[in-house]
Amino acid sequence: MRMRLRLKTVFVLYFMVSLLGLIYALMQLGQRCDCRGHAMSKDQQISQLRGELQKLQEHIKTELSKKTDVPKIYVITPTYARLVQKAELTRLSHTFLHVPQLHWIVVEDAPQPTPLVTDFLAASGLTYAHLHKLTPKDRKLQEGDPSWLKPRGAEQRNEGLRWLREMGAAAEGKEAAALEEAVVYFADDDNTYSLQLFEEMRYTYRVSVWPVGLVGGMKFERPVVEDGKVVRFHTGWHPNRPFPIDMAGFAVSLRLILTNPQARFDGDAQMGFLESSFLQHLVTMDDFEPKADLCTKVLVWHTRTEKPKMKREDALQKQGLGSDPDVEV
Amino acid sequence: MPKRRDILAIVLIVLPWTLLITVWHQSAIAPLLAIRKVCHHLVKEILIIPERLTIHRQRLADDGTETRHDTGPATDSKEYCSQDKDIVEVVRTEYVYTRPPPWSDVLPTIHVITPTYSRPVQKAELTRLANTFLHVPNLHWILVEDSQRRTPLVTRLLRETGLNYTHLNVETPRNYKLRGDMRDPRIPRGTMQRNLALRWLRETFNSNSSQAGIVYFADDDNTYSLELFEEMRSTRKVSVWPVAFVGGLRYESPKVNAAGKVYGWKTVFDPHRPFAIDMAGFAINLRLILFKPQAYFKLRGVKGGYQESSLLRELVTLNDLEPKAANCTKILVWHTRTEKPVLVNEGKKGFTDPNVEI
Repeated sequence: MRMRLRLKTVFVLYFMVSLLGLIYALMQLGQRCDCRGHAMSKDQQISQLRGELQKLQEHIKTELSKKTDVPKIYVITPTYARLVQKAELTRLSHTFLHVPQLHWIVVEDAPQPTPLVTDFLAASGLTYAHLHKLTPKDRKLQEGDPSWLKPRGAEQRNEGLRWLREMGAAAEGKEAAALEEAVVYFADDDNTYSLQLFEEMRYTYRVSVWPVGLVGGMKFERPVVEDGKVVRFHTGWHPNRPFPIDMAGFAVSLRLILTNPQARFDGDAQMGFLESSFLQHLVTMDDFEPKADLCTKVLVWHTRTEKPKMKREDALQKQGLGSDPDVEV
Repeated sequence: MPKRRDILAIVLIVLPWTLLITVWHQSAIAPLLAIRKVCHHLVKEILIIPERLTIHRQRLADDGTETRHDTGPATDSKEYCSQDKDIVEVVRTEYVYTRPPPWSDVLPTIHVITPTYSRPVQKAELTRLANTFLHVPNLHWILVEDSQRRTPLVTRLLRETGLNYTHLNVETPRNYKLRGDMRDPRIPRGTMQRNLALRWLRETFNSNSSQAGIVYFADDDNTYSLELFEEMRSTRKVSVWPVAFVGGLRYESPKVNAAGKVYGWKTVFDPHRPFAIDMAGFAINLRLILFKPQAYFKLRGVKGGYQESSLLRELVTLNDLEPKAANCTKILVWHTRTEKPVLVNEGKKGFTDPNVEI
């Protein structure tokens, strides 16, 4: 039956459609707020801005902490006091803050924890463990020594491993199960890490490997992968090492570390053999798991920071006019 | 006939609404909705959306044009007038409102201008800089490459970070580039790139707009704390603070008197400069930049260490400076420099696969 369309019906129909559309649009856009119309005093503005900022920052934090069911990454970073230490740790922490379930183990080369690192870690917002282990004098680099003379950070990394083993022995039940899946990574405080790297290493069964940029006198060093297995390493420097890989180029599963209590870094090892001294206790080249698109992408760079020139500072200090030592740099 | 009239009437009623809804969905609403979902407690007024849509469409229109040759308009900086033969500017920008870092309508935007150039550590530097910036709310990164064309490395990097960015480029003519890589204080590096960014800001924002903004010059190898960005957000004209590792000292800082006013500079290297401060030690309110459209960094004839003064003296006097970082007693930015990597083992022909990006 044909319906006769009267003007009244047309209007009613139009009204309904408009109403539905308006409701739809409003629902899509959220609530309207009238408060912007009022003139706000400066103080109110500032407190409102601060509140905004806090809300936003908290929101990021909650988003990140929601991911609790992924394996933990324990990052061991040896560090030592020098001018750029705070800067290096600061920008490193900015990267780590983006990685869920990351536990930072900072090991200072010092007889006791320094206030600088203590305060810094407390304010960083990260989950951390603050350790310290002094390198014995004969193994330590002296002032004029070139950086390649003695391997650095071996004692501190061993201290980190010791802490992990202690924690592993004390854990039980669900905690112990979580540790089975965790991964350990050795991150120096002056390198640069992309966020993708941590997702690549998170699921490591034994030892996973990937290319490292700007190391070994080349643009990048990398494991060579054939048929999904690592067959050799593409490096220009000492390719005959048992494992010609940089500290930043591999991650070890915590399970492997806990089941091999004798695996540690040899502080007396020749330069470049530090990594091999540790890995040879744990795996053979066959066991390596290649990551980063079968080791074709560079996700970590072995950057080094220049030592800042302090000529004028030294000159001033001789005159007793040095900058305020209370100001932390 | 009534039947046709009925159909016509129904079509006339329904058409405007379907049009509105489809157009709305096609344009920027989708990312805005994503933002709403994440920051659902933030308030979005219906009035603000159309403004954003117009900005976004303006950017998309810019994207369509290929290149724009700089013809050196008279009202613009005198620096470019005589050199338009040397410069081919591609002012194709991407102004993207993508995912959070959190975006708020209330906080002033911090426009960070970073000049960059291709070298082995470039990707690493930009990566860790991006990791820092991702924590800062309402940050807009203006990255200006010193190159003839926008490089794919930087384009890809910017897209993957998810930051709010604008990608520009301008090549420094050969006679102004540093010879080799040695620091020659007579030739300021990054000047043309910073000037281009200033020009972009002036072209994009007009003085009448209510968008609050702060302009900061951030080099790609320095280290910035997150606190620094919150300190500079409240800048009214130009704010200053100490910078570590510059001028051969642990840190250089402005001298602040008991009244909270800057009266001098605590530096050893030429403390009598009008503004003895490093590029990383100050931030300027966007309104001031727009209010003084002639203010640019001086390109030629600038003595070492006077580059910052060449811009600041056209904007403020010493009296107007606002000291931050607890009256200039805290270090929130470090002028770190990254070592040039030793690539001896690459040899003449290159040992590693050149297709792998580092």
